[in-house]
Formats: sequence, C-alpha cells, structure tokens
Amino acid sequence: MDIDEFFKRPTPLFILILLIVILIAKLLRLETTDYLITIMFFIGIAMALNIIMGFAGYVSFGHTVFLGISGYVFALLVYYNRDFANLMNMYSGIPIFFIALLAGGVSALVAFLVGIPVLKLKGAFFAIATIGLDFAALYIIKAFIPILNPEFFGAQIILPAYALAYKDNVFVAMYITFALIIIANYLIRRSRFGMGLLAISEDEDAAEALGVPTTKYKLISFALSAFFTGMLGAVFGLNSGGVDENLFNLAHTIDMIVMIVIGGIGTVMGPLVGSIIYFILYDTLLVTYPEFNLVILGFIVAVIVLFAPRGVVGILRGKQFMGKKLRDIIE
Amino acid sequence: MDEKEIIKIHNVTKRFGGLVALDKVTFNIYKGEILGIIGPNGAGKTTLFNCITGVYRPDDGKIFFNGLDITGKPPHRITQLGIVKTHQIVKPFNEFTVLENAMIGALFGRRAGKISKDEAREIALKNLELVGLIEKKDELASGLTLHEKKFLELARALSAEPEVILLDEALAGLNPKEVEESLDIVRMINKELGKTIVMVEHVMHAVMNVANRIVVLHFGKLLAEGSPKEVAEMPEVITAYLGDKDLALKFVKR
Amino acid sequence: MTILTDLLINLTSGFLWGTVLGAVSVGLTLIWGVMKVVNLAHGESILLGAYVVSALYLFLNVDPLLAMFVALVSGLLLGFAIYWLGLHKIIGHVDVVTLRIEMSTLLEMFAISIILYNIYSFLTRSEPFGIGIWHLTPISYINLGYMSIQVNHLTAAALSLVATFIIYQFISKTPTGKAIRAVMQDSQAAALVGINPVRIKMLTTVISIGFTAFSGFLVVLYESAVVPSISYKYAPLAFTIVVLGGLGSIIGSYIAGIIIGVTYGVSKVIFSVLVSKNASDPLALTMAFIILVLTLLLKPEGLFGVKR
Ligand SMILES: Nc1ncnc2c1ncn2[C@@H]1O[C@H](COP(=O)(O)OP(=O)(O)OP(=O)(O)O)[C@@H](O)[C@H]1O
Ligand SMILES: [Mg+2]
Repeated sequence: MDIDEFFKRPTPLFILILLIVILIAKLLRLETTDYLITIMFFIGIAMALNIIMGFAGYVSFGHTVFLGISGYVFALLVYYNRDFANLMNMYSGIPIFFIALLAGGVSALVAFLVGIPVLKLKGAFFAIATIGLDFAALYIIKAFIPILNPEFFGAQIILPAYALAYKDNVFVAMYITFALIIIANYLIRRSRFGMGLLAISEDEDAAEALGVPTTKYKLISFALSAFFTGMLGAVFGLNSGGVDENLFNLAHTIDMIVMIVIGGIGTVMGPLVGSIIYFILYDTLLVTYPEFNLVILGFIVAVIVLFAPRGVVGILRGKQFMGKKLRDIIE
Repeated sequence: MDEKEIIKIHNVTKRFGGLVALDKVTFNIYKGEILGIIGPNGAGKTTLFNCITGVYRPDDGKIFFNGLDITGKPPHRITQLGIVKTHQIVKPFNEFTVLENAMIGALFGRRAGKISKDEAREIALKNLELVGLIEKKDELASGLTLHEKKFLELARALSAEPEVILLDEALAGLNPKEVEESLDIVRMINKELGKTIVMVEHVMHAVMNVANRIVVLHFGKLLAEGSPKEVAEMPEVITAYLGDKDLALKFVKR
Repeated sequence: MTILTDLLINLTSGFLWGTVLGAVSVGLTLIWGVMKVVNLAHGESILLGAYVVSALYLFLNVDPLLAMFVALVSGLLLGFAIYWLGLHKIIGHVDVVTLRIEMSTLLEMFAISIILYNIYSFLTRSEPFGIGIWHLTPISYINLGYMSIQVNHLTAAALSLVATFIIYQFISKTPTGKAIRAVMQDSQAAALVGINPVRIKMLTTVISIGFTAFSGFLVVLYESAVVPSISYKYAPLAFTIVVLGGLGSIIGSYIAGIIIGVTYGVSKVIFSVLVSKNASDPLALTMAFIILVLTLLLKPEGLFGVKR
C-alpha cells in the first residue's frame, strides 16, 4: 500500500495515532503505567473478541475462559521456571511478550480442539456452549490448582517476588501485544480471509456455497481470537501480581461485548471507537455514580441494541452526506 | 453441444427420515448444454441440486464431475472445482455492497487463493455489467429488489468462474418482461461464455423454450428425459405434470 | 461413614436440589422454545423472586408462603416491562426469527441482566440476603435414618412439583396455553388461524418471567440466602437443563433438572474418592457442562424436544 492511500484511510491512521498517543502518555507520564496497561487490556480484549464475534458473527459468551487459561498457564510458567522468571526483567521486558505468546498458544490450542465440535453450533447454542466451556474450565481449575501446590489456596496463585516484573517491562510487553492485536484486526479485515469471515456472519450457507471454507475459517478465527485474548490474560495476570478465579468471570465478557456493541459489529473501527467510548463513560460514570455505572452502561447497551444495532460506527456508516464512500473508508 | 458428459448422476438416493426425496436417480449432464429440470412441488429438484453441490450427502449412489467422484465433498470444494448453484430463496450478503457480493464469488471460486483483490474486482465488475447491475455496485445488497437480488445471485455465481451453473427457480416471481431479460442472459452465458447450465424451473414456457434437453422428476424418481418436444409428448409426463398436451405443445412452440 | 451411605445421602440431596433446578428452568424453556429468546437475564429473574420473598419476610414479617405469590406477581410485572421495553421492537412483528434477530434479543436480554444485577448488588451491597431460619414446620430437620433432611429442602421439592404441574396444566389445557403451544410449533401457521402473535409473545414473556421469579422463592428456600452472583451458578445450569430437556418442554425441563441434580450428587461422591473432597464440588458441577456440550452435539433436540 502506498503512503498516499495509507493516509486517505482513517482506520490505519487512527490505529497509528492511538499507538503514538499511548506511547507519549507513557513517556511524558501523563497517565500512570497501570492505567495505560489497563486501557490496553480492555481495548485489546474487545479487539480480540472482535475476530470471532465481529467478523465471523459467533458470539463467544464464555470468551473469558481464554483469559483464565492463559493467565494460569503464564503464572505457572514463571512460578515454576526460574529461567522464564528471570528473563522477564531482561531486554526491556520483551521476553514477557514471548512467554505470553506461549501462554496464548495454549488457549489457541484449546479453542481449536473445542472449536471442532462447538463451532458446528449456531447462534445462541454456540453462545451457551461457550458459557459452559468457561464454567467447566473454571471448575476444573478450582479443583486441580490447589492440589498442585498447597500454596495455591482457593485456586489463587500469588506470584512470588522472583516471578514479578517491573511495571515498565510489563508495559512494553502489553504494548507489543496490543499493537499486534489491532494490527492483526486491520489486516484480517482487509484480507480475503476477513471477507470470508464477514460472509459467514451474513449467511453461512451461502458463504459455503460460494466456496468459502467455512469450517476452516471459523476454526482459525476462533483460535486466533482465543490466542490474543489469552496473551492479554497472561500479561494482565502478571501485572496484577497473580491470578485467581476472577479471570474466568463472565463480567469480562460483559466488557468485551459492550465495547463491540457500542462501537459497531463487523468493523475494526467499531470496537476501537466503542472501547474508547466505553472507557470514557466508565471513568466519568465511575466518578459521578460509582454505584450505578454498570446500571447506566446496561441501559446504554439496551438502547443501542434497540435503536442502533450496528453501533456508533454503524450510524456514521449509514450516513450519505459524504457520498457512498463513507462506508468504504470507515471499515 | 458436444456429447461429452460433464456431470454423471448415478443411482442417487436421498431420504429424509421416511421420505424418499430422491429415488435411484440416474442421468447425465452434457458439456455445453442447457438442461431443464422440471417436476411438481416436492419432486426433489432442490434436493438434487443440494446433492450435486454437496449440501446433502446422498444416502446411496455417486456423482461424478469431469470423471472425478465428488460425492460427499463439502460444498466449498465443489464450488472451487467448478459447479455453482444459485439459491431458490435468494441469499445475498445484505450488509455487503453489490460489488463486494460478487467479489466474494471471485475470491473463493475456481481460482480461490490464486487471484488478487484487484483481479477479483475486475471479474466482479464484468459480471455485474453482464447482468445489468453495474449501476448499483456500491449499494448495499439489502436494498435491491427481488428481481435484482436474483441477478446478483447470478453475478456472484458467475464470478466464481464455474463450468456448470445450477439455477434453482431463477425466474420464479419475475414478471414476463424480466423473465425474457433473464432468458437472454442465460442464453448468452451458455453461448458466449460456454457455461453448462442446469435450470430448475416452474415457468414452463420459459424452460421449454430455452433448454436443449429436459429431465422430469416426479416423487423423487426420474420420470422422463429428452428434448422439450419429446418430453411434452410423453403420456406419463402429461398425466403426471403437464396436464394438457395441447397446452404443453403450445409452450414448446412459443 | 461408608461410601454407600455417602452415595445415598448425595443421591437424596442431589434429587431434591434437582427438583428446584427443574422448576427454575421451566420459565426459560418456555421463552426460549416459543420465542427463540435466549433469556440471559434468567438468573436475575430468579433473584427478583428470591429478594421479594426475603424482603417481605424480613422487613414486614410476611409469611413466605404468602409472599411467594407476590414474587410471582413481581415476575409477571417484570416480564411485562421486559417485553414492551426490550423485546417488542425486535421481535414483536417478525414471523421468522433469523440468527441475527436471535442475537439481537440475546444482547438485549444481556443488557437487561447487567442492569438488574447491578441494582441488586447496590441494594444488597452484595451481602447474603434471605429468609434464613424460616421453615414450614416447628422442626427444621427430618431424620431419615441414614441422613437428616432440611424441611426447607423438602418443602422446596414439593412446591416445585406442584408449581410445575400447574403450569403444565395451564399450557396444555387453557386456550391461552394452547395458543402458546401453537406459536411454538409454527408461528406463521398460528398467525393464519387467527392467533395474535404479539399478544402471545407478550404473554409468553410475562408467564415465563413470572414463573421464574416464583422459582426464585424455591431457590431462597433451598439456599436460605442468596447473593447476586448466585445467578452465575443457576442461570448456566438452567440453560444446560433446558437444552437437555428439550426446548419448550416443561416436563422435559423438570426431569432434566432432576437428572442434573442427581448427576451432581453422584459425581460429587465419585470425585471425592477419585480426586479429593475439596475438588469434588467444582468437578461435579463441571459434569453439568460436559452434559450440556454433549447434548448440543449428539442430541441437539434434547430428551423431550421435537426434532427440527
Ligand atoms: N432438509 C429437509 N428435511 C426434511 N425433508 C426435506 C428437506 N429438504 C427437502 N425435504 C423434502 O423432500 C422433498 C423434496 O423437496 P425439494 O425441496 O427437493 O422439492 P422441489 O422439487 O425443489 O420442490 P419445489 O418445487 O417446491 O421447490 C419434499 O417433500 C420436502 O419436504
Ligand atoms: Mg425447490
């Protein structure tokens, strides 16, 4: 793609600006490192879920299962392997990213294996099955982690000092992971693969009839989505100094889905914009109405589903004032 | 039309529970022909198409395409091999533009993976031009009329660059003028692009007119096979389906 | 204690809990089966009933056996509000529920669940809240020899059977119930024979949520107190049960509830022998979700559902 075209398209530009803004905020200490890591985590999980929910149209309600699985895998890796643990504070934290890749890989593998049967289910049945998966994994972890080591009381792993990393290093790992996820989203959306996924979300039978290898594509997108979700869970777990069963909490799915729905399903810009709006809303609501912020968010989602089913970006996309092009550029 | 068979349907049986939707159906489809498949509602026409395109796996029997056994292959493989079907109930990708709809056909069709997005766009545009939808290329497919959606199905199928196109009631619900337009396009695709066409049709005069050969299905069985004229004169076909011989012949003549 | 008595005890308590689970799932199977609405606010509908009964009992000293009718009414009202505010715009006038519409209603119910959940959390400060030591008879336990059973558990089981029987009779005998069943089988055909589909959808929502709120009373009777997060336990189990029992089948749900309860009880014993006592509870719950996924894959129409 030549430079000219690059700047004509708002999505890559937007991604670039977002990445730069976060970097500047970090370098100039405009926000705390923790806050920035949290922001990237939230936008990241929305973008990760977007690959299966936004593109392929499969609402994976139990997606937090992958936060949990990789979070635990990562924690166990650095808990038991001193080499890994030591590496985390070398090379500016880049090794954290690679350990997270490993942890994410486990989620991808689980998603792939579970996906073979479960992705045959459609609509609500798929959603329910993933909830089942989340609970099954949660209960299995609850049962076995304490057996592994008496220190993991109540399935909670508190990372010991040697297995912790400096905040700055965690930031670096999160930043790379985050950039990877949004760039992957953009590339997928523009690729043949992405077109195929969107066709699946429109009409799976028609897509298959037109030559889209639907089974393969769904599996790949589910595994990719799980992979990225898992990486985020891993780094986030490290940032929190340990993991517990809360990683499996469906409340995280609430966050992901709300962000995608507010922004608009089926695009890259949608969840990006959605997660930023969500974050601003969340922050302001949290300050003004700490007790009711989720209630209000619930209302917002309810209203959006009713009146703007394709989210904020969907509203813009429908607008014709810039001619038909608006739809094209906003993807 | 040469005499080389492109699709061989051999002894195909398909059951739904106790219902035998296709009962040991055997016939050939020849390269370059326009084959009409007729039969009353529920005769098994759509089911036959679904067996050929891999949506259903036949309970018994085999289907060959260019000598290759394609029985039970998944639909997307069969599309990529060169057989594409349009749907009786149109299935456009509503949130896609007309152009994007057609591009999907090209991107995942016979040259899947070996074609760039720009080439796909070219092919899509060419086929939209052909079916007369080029003006609407940037509109969302959801906004098209039924008639346009049927043409979009066709453009999408053509963009897959198939050897054989299966049209499932492509004319149903169209007014006489639109039917004529469609028939011209069908003939053109057959003559100029050299595609083999199989059409399931209830619009009798149309199919009798445009097809080189007719196959009649009745309660899942192959009832008759032959030229439109021959078929229209067969007593069993007349009693089973056409009802009135004079009327049938009138259709052929038109 | 031998394994055999252990098994007997868990079988009994699993069975009793299963009857509650069964009743809890009846409302869900109705709304899902008839309207294809996946009620993600099911857990919150259960909680409504549980909280209404508990609040009336604790603050106004209303007998729970009386308060349970108020729970029912509160559920009917909630269902009414949910239909007109949340669902009507999406499904009121559609004949065929496409995948996209199904996903819209799912997200809408999800939003409603967030709202309710957080209202409960706010009002109760997420503290346990319930009828506590109330029980039907002067004694709170009945001795069976091999174990003693809480009277409340028995009461809950008995009431679940009566209530399920009543709603089953309602759906199969009354004109409204028959209309609901007609819509479940074929909404288009039902419209042709003059059944007003909007009215039926509204009534289904109202009845479904109403019954669910009532079943919340059984839950609080069984658990003695509830916290909002208990919905994360009951709602997924209810989904499992509905799938296992077959969408739309009331009897199917009730029986599937008992199957899940008994499976839970029995596998708990097995896992405490095989793995450990602490691990047995979570692993036994895992069994439910294994059953869920297996049913979806092997027998998607469930035990008592109709093949589609
Ligand atoms: N998926 C299915 N499950 C059960 N029965 C089916 C299925 N598909 C088709 N049938 C039955 O098989 C028979 C043949 O159906 P088919 O759709 O092939 O008929 P058709 O010739 O295309 O009819 P029409 O002219 O109405 O399109 C019918 O009795 C139909 O009800
Ligand atoms: Mg048909």
